Order: sequence, then C-alpha cells, then structure tokens
Amino acid sequence: MSLPHGVDLDGVAVGAELGEVVFGPVTRADIVRYAGASGDFNPIHIDEGYARATGAPTVFAMGMLPAGYLAHAVSDWFGGPHRLRRFKVRFSARVWPGDELVCSGRVGDVRPGGVVAVALEARRRGDGPPGAGVPAEEVALVGEADVELPARGEGA
Amino acid sequence: MAGELTFELPIERGKVREFALAVGEDNPVFFDPDEARRQGLPDVVAPPTFTVTQIWQVTREEREARLGANLDYARVLHGEQEFHIRRLPVAGEVLRGVMRIARDFTKQGRRGGRMRFVTYESVFTDAGGDEVVRAHYTLIETARDPGSGP
Repeated sequence: MSLPHGVDLDGVAVGAELGEVVFGPVTRADIVRYAGASGDFNPIHIDEGYARATGAPTVFAMGMLPAGYLAHAVSDWFGGPHRLRRFKVRFSARVWPGDELVCSGRVGDVRPGGVVAVALEARRRGDGPPGAGVPAEEVALVGEADVELPARGEGA
Repeated sequence: MAGELTFELPIERGKVREFALAVGEDNPVFFDPDEARRQGLPDVVAPPTFTVTQIWQVTREEREARLGANLDYARVLHGEQEFHIRRLPVAGEVLRGVMRIARDFTKQGRRGGRMRFVTYESVFTDAGGDEVVRAHYTLIETARDPGSGP
C-alpha cells in the first residue's frame, strides 16, 4: 500500500503494510555525494585503500545514507515530511556499492491525539563486494517512526 | 570532564537542496520556496535527518576535545540514530545547538569482550528558544574485530 497524499487518520489501519519503496542501486558517487552533503568524511566510506586496511572488502555507505532513504519513504507513505515526529534507526548490516535498499513499514498502533506508530525495516539487496560472501539480501536497518496525522477529512 | 558544546546551525536553501538530493528526495517542499509557501510553510524545509550536517559546525575532533568521550575511533561503529522532531527546520533561520553526552555505558558483547555505548544528544532550538529537533547519535566502541558490523 502507498497512502495517497492527503491521508488522514481514517486512511490508516493497525497492521497495514506500507511499501515497498526501493532506492538505489547505491553507487560510489551516491556515497561521495552524501559525504559532502552531510559532512561525514570518514575515509572508510570513500577511500578504497583505507577501507581495505581496516579489513573491509571495500567502501560501504555511511548508515545515515540509507537512513535518509528510509525517512524519505516514511514521508512519502504519510503525505509529507512535516508529519514525522520521531524517527529512530538501528544499523545491523553494511550497505555496499551496488546494493538496492528495499524500505517497508507496518502500522503498529494509532494513539490518542492522532499519532501513528510505524515499525520500519530496510533490507539491502545485491551481490555485495566480490568474494566477500555477504548474503544476497539481509536487513540493514530496523527502525521506528511516530507520524502525526490529521483527523478525518482534514488531510491536506 | 563532562560538559556541553554550543554551536549554531544555519538553515540555508542551498545546503537543504544539496542534502535533500543526497537522500534521493524529490518533494518540492525541500526545493521550491513558492511550493513550500503554497503548502503553508514559510520557506523550504530541511529533511527530517538534516541536523546530521552539524558535523560541518562541530568536527569529531572538536567534539572529542570538548566532551571527552575518549573513544578509539578505529573500533567505533554508528549503532543507532534517533530524531525527535517538533517541526522541520525552515530555510532562513539559524538554530542553536547544544550537544552533550546523554548516556555512556558498557555491556558484554555477544561474541565476548565488552562493548561501550556512547550517546550524544544534540538539542536544536529556534530564535524564540523553542525546541525544534532533538537528535540522539549512538556510537558503539567494539572490543575487537573492527572489520565487522555496519
């Protein structure tokens, strides 16, 4: 399900599945672009030699890049970024160049006051670095969001 | 020595555009002031995770020097990130950020060794003194094997 722009509380049911929204494949240029935009110049994400010296097979995305994609997905599901009141992510696997990020969510609860609690997941999907033996698909981020929605008929 | 670190985070249209493009955004409220105003906003707004750009204002070295977590960054992973959002920052305003260490504890890792969790909290307030965004940035210092994990 992708909720229409202008969604209100009547359009949301506990247990509703959201998604899937797919981003990527993530390129090395995307990682460099995010480094510049965010200011995170940790060389493990942008310098092949440095990454290998740490024992990594190659560079990988900073966690906040797929987290940014996931927040984007939540904004799209619920009719705009201004409705997001809380966004939390835990990083569980690296996202490699060439990976797609598959974002999905489920409505967990609708609280008094119009706040919808959403469980989030983002899976990386791809070959991974050659010879590194990473799974073809795995959970990269697990998250939660609280989204404030207008009452019935007030969706704008 | 625990303490606080205060800084400014100017919200600039160009920086908002750059960051929004970097996370694949296409919503005009991040790019087009006229469209933002049509939707009742004063100007373009920053994406929900935008305050991570605070590293342009406070480098890791300055954070370490001022807040003194004494982390060994060769073993540090970004474990968690959380944002409490009262409203999205608006282009043209300058937010005031106050950063401190909110939590610092160790626990036994699943594969042996002790893992340390340090959570930095940044509270961003507007010109009126009202909170806009509160961010929690949690780093994990692993016991060994720095090549594993995200």
